[in-house]
Amino acid sequence: MTTQIATFHTHFGAIQFHKLCKSLGDTAVMMPVPRALSASCGTCVKFAVPFRPEAMTLEDLDSVYAVEGDGYRLLFRNEEE
Amino acid sequence: MVKWKDHGSIVLSGLIVGVAAIVLVLLGNPANMGFCIACFLRDIAGGVKLHTAPIVQYVRPEIIGLVLGALIMALAGKEFHVRGGSSPMARFVLGFCVMVGALMFLGCPLRMVIRLGGGDGNALFGLVGFALGIFVGTLFLRAGFTLKKSTPQPKVEGFLMPAVAVGLLLLLVGVPSLLAFSESGPGSMRAPIAAALIAGLVVGALAQKTRLCMVGGIRDALLFRDFHLLSGFVAIFVAVLVGNLILGSFNPGFAGQPVAHTDGLWNLLGMVLVGIGSVLLGGCPLRQLILAGSGNSDSSMAVLGMVVGAAFCHNFGLASSADGPTAYGKIAVILGLVVVCAIGGLNLNKQK
Repeated sequence: MTTQIATFHTHFGAIQFHKLCKSLGDTAVMMPVPRALSASCGTCVKFAVPFRPEAMTLEDLDSVYAVEGDGYRLLFRNEEE
Repeated sequence: MVKWKDHGSIVLSGLIVGVAAIVLVLLGNPANMGFCIACFLRDIAGGVKLHTAPIVQYVRPEIIGLVLGALIMALAGKEFHVRGGSSPMARFVLGFCVMVGALMFLGCPLRMVIRLGGGDGNALFGLVGFALGIFVGTLFLRAGFTLKKSTPQPKVEGFLMPAVAVGLLLLLVGVPSLLAFSESGPGSMRAPIAAALIAGLVVGALAQKTRLCMVGGIRDALLFRDFHLLSGFVAIFVAVLVGNLILGSFNPGFAGQPVAHTDGLWNLLGMVLVGIGSVLLGGCPLRQLILAGSGNSDSSMAVLGMVVGAAFCHNFGLASSADGPTAYGKIAVILGLVVVCAIGGLNLNKQK
């Protein structure tokens, strides 16, 4: 299973997403956002359950990345405007 | 090696910030005040005559440098994202309250670390209060506190705070007669403009690059057992401590410390207020300045709240002095604690 990282606009968004992942049976963890990624809030969620935009795009979600070795590949961006 | 790769840049930045603080004191800044965001914003408020306390008036180039250093680094790193609109009034009031707490203690969290490195035992009470405040702040975060997300704003919104910084610099260099300059006290003790500006630019750029944040360190340690940001905090302390030891300016003790008082309870409570307010804002006063330079107009509102708060503190006798806290200052800190907890409690999202 691919490790993914979701970034958020608010810490609250991270809490909600973390709870959602847990409800899907994931062992998701909240942690500080890696420096290579940029986000207005300092908290991200590392999770493994495959990201489904239609079901998992919460309002405060910023982006979702796949962790690949030392790098990150953008999987999804929650477009604004 | 992995650890150095992960934490090397923030440790190195912390060490450079510590050295810069020592050098600025050598060049003329008040002792244990190479950098202090609260004190310097307060000096700027006095410099532009928002308050008239004669000993703390000077448009500090360090602050101008911090904002512009962050701007340059954010632009260079393609991280200049103009955002805002996340409860601006709440952020203004939180910034105001953070300043009330900081001027009770006589320093922002960064100066608290610098004071510790100078041997000022009173800052230990500040550190305990600061950690307590951050703990309370994390309780609000865990309970679903949110000021709602920011949204993209027009480019000009992000450039206004750096423009204000440039405007202040032009006034300071070009038309100083318009500004107030302390002739005695901390405001009269200043490193040369160029040195202060360069130190601010370097620290601003490094802080933007590494996300250095005094509040974030303890917050992440409490929330996630992550010590990355805390390593920057510790590095500043080590650099200042070693610098003071080398220069013979390490003076351990409580009484007679520079720009400090010995009232432990109010040193502690002042920093409790700073800790809670800063967690709700998402970062310490330094971090707010850096974000304000990086296009975040919400942080600009917090900075303006701090400036206005500083003016109120000196116009109404709320700020402490070397003689200790004032009665009005104590009332203001208690009211500040009530206000930040109310903002925290009233912004809990029930959907958590």
